[in-house]
Amino acid sequence: MQRMVRLEKWVRHGMVVGILFAAAMSFGHARVTAGQTDVTPVASNLDNPCGVAIQPGTGDIFVSTHPAIVRLVAGEEGYRTFVEIQGFATDVYGKGPKYEIGPLGLAFLDKKTLIVGGGENKDGEEVVRFYAVGALPRKPSEPLLADAMIHQVGPIKRGPASAMGEGNFFGIAVQASDIFVTCNGDDTKGWIAKIAVKDGCPGLLTPFIPTKVETEVDAPAAATISPEGKLIVSQFGEINVPGDALLTYYDPKTGALERRLTTGLHDLIAIAFHPKSGKLYGIDFAWMAPDRGALYLLEPGEEEVATTRIATLDKGTAMAFASDGTLFVSALGSAKEPMAGQTKDFPGKVFKITGLD
Amino acid sequence: MSSERRCSWILAAVFSFLAVAWESSPRVLAGVAGKAEIRAPRGLPKVKAPPDNALEERKIELGMQLYFDPRLSGDNSVSCATCHDPRRGWSNGDAVATGIQGKRGARSSPTVLNSAYNVFQFWDGRAASLEEQVLGPIQNPLEMGMPSLAVLEEKLNAIPGYKVQFQKVFGEEVTAPNVAKAIAAFERTVLAGDSPYDRYLAGEKGALSTAARRGMEVFFNQGHCSACHAGPNFTDNAFHNIGIGVNGSTPDIGREAISKLEGDRGSFKTPTLRDIARTAPYMHDGSLKNLEAVIEHYNQGGIANPQLDEEIFPLQLTDQEKRDLITFLKEGLSSNSYPALEPPSLPE
Repeated sequence: MQRMVRLEKWVRHGMVVGILFAAAMSFGHARVTAGQTDVTPVASNLDNPCGVAIQPGTGDIFVSTHPAIVRLVAGEEGYRTFVEIQGFATDVYGKGPKYEIGPLGLAFLDKKTLIVGGGENKDGEEVVRFYAVGALPRKPSEPLLADAMIHQVGPIKRGPASAMGEGNFFGIAVQASDIFVTCNGDDTKGWIAKIAVKDGCPGLLTPFIPTKVETEVDAPAAATISPEGKLIVSQFGEINVPGDALLTYYDPKTGALERRLTTGLHDLIAIAFHPKSGKLYGIDFAWMAPDRGALYLLEPGEEEVATTRIATLDKGTAMAFASDGTLFVSALGSAKEPMAGQTKDFPGKVFKITGLD
Repeated sequence: MSSERRCSWILAAVFSFLAVAWESSPRVLAGVAGKAEIRAPRGLPKVKAPPDNALEERKIELGMQLYFDPRLSGDNSVSCATCHDPRRGWSNGDAVATGIQGKRGARSSPTVLNSAYNVFQFWDGRAASLEEQVLGPIQNPLEMGMPSLAVLEEKLNAIPGYKVQFQKVFGEEVTAPNVAKAIAAFERTVLAGDSPYDRYLAGEKGALSTAARRGMEVFFNQGHCSACHAGPNFTDNAFHNIGIGVNGSTPDIGREAISKLEGDRGSFKTPTLRDIARTAPYMHDGSLKNLEAVIEHYNQGGIANPQLDEEIFPLQLTDQEKRDLITFLKEGLSSNSYPALEPPSLPE
């Protein structure tokens, strides 16, 4: 609690921005080359980054972290980091290791509207928020506050559809006027919820596809729309079971499961299509075997997905392609436990990955 | 006769042979050249064997003999079947296992039923395959107490009937790894499915009683059972902390001992619920005597502790819902194809 109060104070004084900026600069030239793929950190010292979205038009990268949503802006000397929205509450994910989390999934409805899936509240109280964001970063002294959204939908409370109520809205996919949100509340259902947007206004957050019932595997995580217009969802599986993650295809209109493919990956947490080649990439978080965490090329077959390891990631969480095929990936990283009197490390990073086709 | 017609006749003959073999064995579909394919009962997926331990009829028969043979224990008193008894749900009916000289362990004997589908073996998942699991209890001083695998090999090689069979099956005399392979091959045939629930899903609407159908609704909804007991074998193969055993003076840390993750403290593997009515008492320590006690445990939200799973919370089930749920578990998941095997003749 004390740490939270201290953090909020820092944010108020713009110190987080300074720390993030300095860190981003210091990592600007550290590069790791994996084959022909170039992996470059563009932001670091982030506190549990869990969501990435790229703003249409500006190409700015928005990242959800535990205390705030930050914006990465490309410049001549690397990426600068700005706090865009702050003041989110905190929840804890996991039982050891434990991660403090705030907002999770991010996606843009249009150039000016950022959709934020909540992870900071209890199941049954969680909401999806919509924020108006400009073409330019906000001044360091004037970030938006978490409750300054233009729309809020949800929660899905405890009831007949959800024995616990829904929460941890990790994956968001947008198709025309429909928004799909992966939920992790009732593990007997594994809901994908749907929001219908009319005249720019979101409707209700409604349980749509019970993925656990359809696939018999836990936890929908990432969601995206394929070039053919299908809703593609990764099923995370159990964190302490190896190789149980799935890749699934649904009809976005009816919610019917069309394909259920095994991947052999531990925890498929993120998926995205390359905007030029249409190839599918994904991130394995690999909770129980972090050394296996990596970015993979995913090639769906009849019953299973062939995977090719592209680059090692230390607890990768989310990904988004820019229109030119540059990939931006968030990763929690690994922190050393602080000694008495020391401040805690924030090992989260965002990487730019080029050379993918 | 054209080559196409000749092929058709050959195929027909092969299928006829397979069909006869299928009907002649309740569990194993014999194939060509001794290779066997396990006949999975309705509701269960195909059984897969590891590439280095292909299923063969003679290997399965050998494994069955070894499974029931108390000579695999240090004092010839305990076999695998002692603690995993077909007459007791392939468990043993006691809270914890009793090994040689009456020694008792700390955990209940998990059922062997459908262990072919387990991702992990043992309550804490310390073995990743049946082959890896088999040799553990044989050497455990609290269980079968064989002093070493070398002694096991020497002892079994002194039994001509085994020596001959191992030569036929593996092309060499008895080795501990091959003992494990044979027993694992046999255990892959110990399957329970084709329950009223499976027949109900297949369209036989009268297969479940009205109370069992209500209980099924509770199971998959407000009872929250399918959060962990999911899939055809009614397990997610994962590890969960439901609070059992956390308050003892020496709590069993379960999966944490293997994974070294604090989050796994007090977590144990989700067991199958197939033929659950036969495997009392319940939980990893056998501390709950009957299904009524199990349902009450979950209805109260488990036992609070820092690692309690978030899927465990007070359910607020009514008495009727509890009764229906138990009816579903007892009636709906009891297998028509329960493998009530008798011990085979053992080699001399």
